[in-house]
Amino acid sequence: MFLFLLLAVVAVAASIAMITARNSIHSALFLVVDFFCLAVLYLTLNAEFLAAVQIVVYAGAIMVLFLFVITLLNPGNEETDDRLRGQRPLAVALGLALLVEVALLLRTQAIRDRLGDFPPATSFFEQVQTRINGTPTAPIGNVQAIGIELFTTYVLPFEVVSIVLLLAVIGAVVLAKRQLR
Amino acid sequence: MLESYGPVLILILLSSALAALVLGLSSIMGPRGLGRGARDTYESGIIPTTSARQRFPVRFALLAMLFLVFDIEVIFFYPWAVIFRRLGLYGLIEMLLFIGLLFVGYIYAFKKGALNWE
Amino acid sequence: MAPLSYYFILSAVLFTIGTIGVLIRKNPLIMFMSIELMLNAANLSFASFARARNLLSGQVIAFFVIAVAAAEVVVGLAIIVSIFRSRQSVDVDDVSMLKG
Repeated sequence: MFLFLLLAVVAVAASIAMITARNSIHSALFLVVDFFCLAVLYLTLNAEFLAAVQIVVYAGAIMVLFLFVITLLNPGNEETDDRLRGQRPLAVALGLALLVEVALLLRTQAIRDRLGDFPPATSFFEQVQTRINGTPTAPIGNVQAIGIELFTTYVLPFEVVSIVLLLAVIGAVVLAKRQLR
Repeated sequence: MLESYGPVLILILLSSALAALVLGLSSIMGPRGLGRGARDTYESGIIPTTSARQRFPVRFALLAMLFLVFDIEVIFFYPWAVIFRRLGLYGLIEMLLFIGLLFVGYIYAFKKGALNWE
Repeated sequence: MAPLSYYFILSAVLFTIGTIGVLIRKNPLIMFMSIELMLNAANLSFASFARARNLLSGQVIAFFVIAVAAAEVVVGLAIIVSIFRSRQSVDVDDVSMLKG
């Protein structure tokens, strides 16, 4: 509980700092802090592989790409003028309205009943094991369980991911290649 | 279950303590004033010719983009490799399809010269 | 362990901050980072549901979200780079026309 509150406070503070920082490199670094907090939160949710992937992909690869593009675009400085001053309060108001909606939703009794709460910690992998192995005794790791789920139930989405990635390669080459010469 | 990450926590604490110690000691014990040349990039070396805040070439960004795509591909290899025996031929064909599609992208990038550094 | 609804509230707060970030910033890179934050908030919900329902599907879908987010970042940043190259500015208000 204490860990969750600590992580939540750090994550929210880092994300607010991210959207308000004047320097976009600072924004990127605050976002990395956010990703680390979320990775630890995934650990508390028994999603070990997801936590590792979060750090490897988000903190490792995506943020490096962001930093490369930031250094490519504005080595010097920052946005200076604000043409749409009136947009800011409106944006914050709309965002808070969204938050209030979700909070009201979570307070509704019918929804709370359906959501329930976390089952006790031990039962999670036992249940997953039982569904996959037929017996709760044979130990199974998070990576194995995810692999079985991914490569049996979700074969088609998995193959579609390769098409999405192929399109990303082609898009990046077509869009960025023009500038190479 | 989270207790098993205790060593990681200790490692994080130790490394941040070390960083704080090194930075703190050098700020306490180091010389104070900024003399002539202390603000230079190399205090007693080559005088920099241009600002360090230059544009990075697009090449870096393009390579990082391609790296990101193949990084995701590798992420999907891990669970596959762990349960390869259980899946057998079925898993092999699945993965060959996946790699095959991405290999098309790799050949495309290669042929377009996106991987040349010259 | 914190109750399930706490995780949802955190996820909603992060998502809201991401939305506000997209709306108030004019630097497209920071708008992109805010979108990443929103995707991460959604992933947190997926992981919480996976844990609450004793199903791994939520975690698997989080992987698909990560893969799609990566593809989106690649293409989006390539577009930003190419817009910047053609008009030397990345202010989103300058790119309000469809004609290049």
